[in-house]
Amino acid sequence: MFSLFQKKYNNPALLEKIRETQERWFTFLGKLEARMEEMSTAAIPELRDLFNQDNDPYKRAHGHMLQGLLGQINQMRHKANEAREENIFCFVSAAEATLPAITSNAGQEYHNALYAFRMACSDRYHLFDEKLNHHITLLQKAAGEQDLEAIYREELTIFENIRDKFSCKQCGGNITIPQMFFIATYVNCPFCKTQNTFMPSTGAQLVLHQARSLAEQRTAHLLHAYEESVPKNETLYKQYLRAMFDEWNKIVPDMAGENEKFYQRLLNDHLINKLK
Amino acid sequence: MSQEENKRTLTYLERLKQKAATQENYGGEVVKEDAKMKVRDCPECGAGRAYQHGLTACAYCGFVFMDVKLTDGVHIKKENNS
Amino acid sequence: MSENPLLAPIHGITLEDYSAACAKIGSGLSEEEVAKALGVELPVWQEANLLWPERMKQDATYHIITLFGQYFGEADQHPKFLNLKPAVSAEGTGNIDKIKADKDFYQELEVARQVAYEYGLDGAQWIMDNYGIPVGDFQIAASKWSDQIHQDIQANYAGYNQQQDAYRTKYQQLFAAAQGGNLADDISF
Repeated sequence: MFSLFQKKYNNPALLEKIRETQERWFTFLGKLEARMEEMSTAAIPELRDLFNQDNDPYKRAHGHMLQGLLGQINQMRHKANEAREENIFCFVSAAEATLPAITSNAGQEYHNALYAFRMACSDRYHLFDEKLNHHITLLQKAAGEQDLEAIYREELTIFENIRDKFSCKQCGGNITIPQMFFIATYVNCPFCKTQNTFMPSTGAQLVLHQARSLAEQRTAHLLHAYEESVPKNETLYKQYLRAMFDEWNKIVPDMAGENEKFYQRLLNDHLINKLK
Repeated sequence: MSQEENKRTLTYLERLKQKAATQENYGGEVVKEDAKMKVRDCPECGAGRAYQHGLTACAYCGFVFMDVKLTDGVHIKKENNS
Repeated sequence: MSENPLLAPIHGITLEDYSAACAKIGSGLSEEEVAKALGVELPVWQEANLLWPERMKQDATYHIITLFGQYFGEADQHPKFLNLKPAVSAEGTGNIDKIKADKDFYQELEVARQVAYEYGLDGAQWIMDNYGIPVGDFQIAASKWSDQIHQDIQANYAGYNQQQDAYRTKYQQLFAAAQGGNLADDISF
């Protein structure tokens, strides 16, 4: 009979090693998660404070702190990957090599144990990975967004206050700036006709840089509606894109002509991607 | 979590925050400047540049302010060529 | 054969002019200095600085932006900028020349710059503080080495990755040490 010629494989030490390794792996990942959560929880209010107190329009201090935190999370992920390679994958390969063929009955219990071990470790790793990603998102959203609308309205107010307070550098006559300019612009003196050069304030220049972001903020609900639609409702995308560009053009009307060409490009790219 | 570990995390965070808040950013700080008006007169004859004579050359002595062909831009147009 | 309208000069500023000007601003020249070198006034330069990127945004073939990258890399040879040197230390000048002549030196510093950001530093400023190299010159070097590096990857992918990993490990250790170690250094399997 077939089974008489097969010695049953017996290796309780291996089963113990499997159990012990799994426990160590779970403990290890648990410690990394605890450290990461501790860091993330303490960092969130700090990120918010740093963002709010920073006068830099580009909020670089907050950006650098965020990158540092994400760098540490990635270090932990890297550490887990290395440990997985060295202690789980290598262990399983080495152990399987010592077992009788999987096609025989002899080592069945051990193959099953290794399989269960691999699955348990893999599932635990995915849980770890999800937790990391969750905290990465929390950190990225911690500071919220700049109130671009308020910044814009302030610049509009400042402009209304200064627009008629300029004098021609040639004849001293009063020059009223016809509209809000965002770059250096030639302005004509109505009295002596001399071309003066108007240099906008730093704040006005920033309005141009932040215009699209403000337009996106104003139409975020439309983009969200498209992203939430199942299946994807392309009409919603077109509505969002048109609305976003309309808002953008309201903020910087001089760029409307160029923006239209860009709008066409984005629309075409989106449609092409949908057809793929 | 132990006191020791907590201290480790908080020390790290404090150092990170300090570094982020105080380090020099590439390109420097954004200096807030007010709007202002300037003028460039002809360096040869001192005349001002009048709109109807264009931006690129002096109407009076021919001095070339800019040796380029202006195209239709945002506010500057082809008509602004002298 | 009609010329590509997207490549037509803007206020007399060609794509080569514009690309070189961007590189020079990245190397430390001001907008005023760059406008003067191109023979235009600030409003003209600033319009070109708005409109050339618009051409790139409208070009679905990526041709314009590819040329921009190429001309950016050739900025040091552009005739209108030959006599203009931003204020740089002697050590800086040496290192600027070195990243454009020594591919390994460039690649190592490129990794160092990226890793610096992962440790909360302003990577561009770190490079400036330690090597005196402005961002613009880094980008010029990146453009110059781009083709060669692609060839290296094709020829020996494993070797390229190994080299990159070695650089990453070196700088991770350097920056970690400066901050008192990585946060999870005391946690081991």
